[in-house]
Amino acid sequence: MGVKKRISGCVATANAVKLADVEVICSYPIRPYTGIMSELARMVADGELDAEFVYGEGEHGQLSVVYGASAAGARAFTGSSGVGVTYAMEVYSPISGERLPLQMAIADRTLDPPGDFGSEQTDALCCRDQGWIQGWASTPQEALDLTLLYYRIGEDPRVLLPQYACQDGYFVSHILGEVDIPDAAQVKEFLPPYKNHHVLDPRNPQIIGAQMEPSMGPGMQYQRYQAIEGSRKVIEEVHEEFGRIFGRKYAPWVEEYMTDDAEVVIFMQGGHAETCKTVVKRLRNLGEKVGLVRLRTFRPFPTQQVRDALGRFKAVGVVDNSVNFGISGAAGVLLTEARTALYGLGDKVPTVGFVAGLGGEMITHDEFYKMFAKLKEVAKAGKADKQSYWLPFEL
Amino acid sequence: MSVPVKEVPFAGTVPSPKTENEGMITGNWRTRRPVLDADKCTNCLICWISCPDSSVNQNADVVSFNLKYCKGCGICNEVCPVGAISLAPELDFED
Repeated sequence: MGVKKRISGCVATANAVKLADVEVICSYPIRPYTGIMSELARMVADGELDAEFVYGEGEHGQLSVVYGASAAGARAFTGSSGVGVTYAMEVYSPISGERLPLQMAIADRTLDPPGDFGSEQTDALCCRDQGWIQGWASTPQEALDLTLLYYRIGEDPRVLLPQYACQDGYFVSHILGEVDIPDAAQVKEFLPPYKNHHVLDPRNPQIIGAQMEPSMGPGMQYQRYQAIEGSRKVIEEVHEEFGRIFGRKYAPWVEEYMTDDAEVVIFMQGGHAETCKTVVKRLRNLGEKVGLVRLRTFRPFPTQQVRDALGRFKAVGVVDNSVNFGISGAAGVLLTEARTALYGLGDKVPTVGFVAGLGGEMITHDEFYKMFAKLKEVAKAGKADKQSYWLPFEL
Repeated sequence: MSVPVKEVPFAGTVPSPKTENEGMITGNWRTRRPVLDADKCTNCLICWISCPDSSVNQNADVVSFNLKYCKGCGICNEVCPVGAISLAPELDFED
């Protein structure tokens, strides 16, 4: 068995990168994700990890370095936060199009303005449709596990896609949690060495990222579509095997908390869900039938699983910790996706959007109590009189 | 017409043609032509390494240029340590 340590989400991710025996790392500083890179730099300097540690000249450069490293056959790792994530935007699609399964950790930070470096999932959600596997950890332990799970899923020959392993800035990245760091032998059993599909080798010259005629375009996009749709089965298999080897069982798509006889639930992702759990528990002590459904994998979006999970409640509140100005439903992308999943169930399951925790503010217990009170009203009336509420101003 | 999915190379990766691509002749983009001063050239081949379009031929005793594909970017002129490559306006030439 491994060792138990009290570490932050950043340090947990760095430990996972070390256990995954990553060969090329490219860094560029921006808080809060920088904590991962400073820990990795220390590991490399102290001889704990044998990896090429490259200093990028910016996030666009960072992603380009790991792109090449992955094409050359190395297991590669990078990361960023906030505007750093969006600065590298151009490089995400080529990486998934070339089917290079490198990993990027994102510790969320707001985009500017407000430029207050607080946590907000907008940065990572901007890149949600780039053909990458994506999901959120809610604790430092899960941050460590997500890194290992995603390398395994992404490198599976049936998938071959890059991954965003996301965690909320500060609320996960800088809060200490008890983390079970697994044995290197266990990780070796779980994660075989990376083998890429085409090796960049001067003895066998190839064109990677060739310019193509427009008639090749639809087929190229269809390949990527098939890869991300095909990853669903692999995601389930890999979570199963993870549980068998490490003894930690995660539901691959949604985690349900006190939902057995629940009438109203909150649906959300990320570290704020841990705060919500406390509120659910207190309300349960008062006899309220409330629960929480936490999304674990955002891309590919588990439409059927979310439909099955949410379709049985009298009202669902969807918490979006991001801004999507002008979106249908006037809240965030999670509300839109949840409604798509529930489409066809008519008015049976009224949904309400809550935009909360923007700019790095905490979503407080008080705010969760207000959300559950609103959901109780909605369940009673059988419909919502407003699509969404911005907290703390509208509720 | 779209190419059928099965005929699209996986991840768009293809073996290098290692030959000239007749479908993509870029020499006519050129406004400046590289001209070699063979007396100065030391055959160090830094121009060959640096040419982004593989338009420096290195199989002869001294370097020569493949003008069918040279876009006239002038990198060879920049990197030549002995100043053996100059750039002449393309309109100065008959061909």
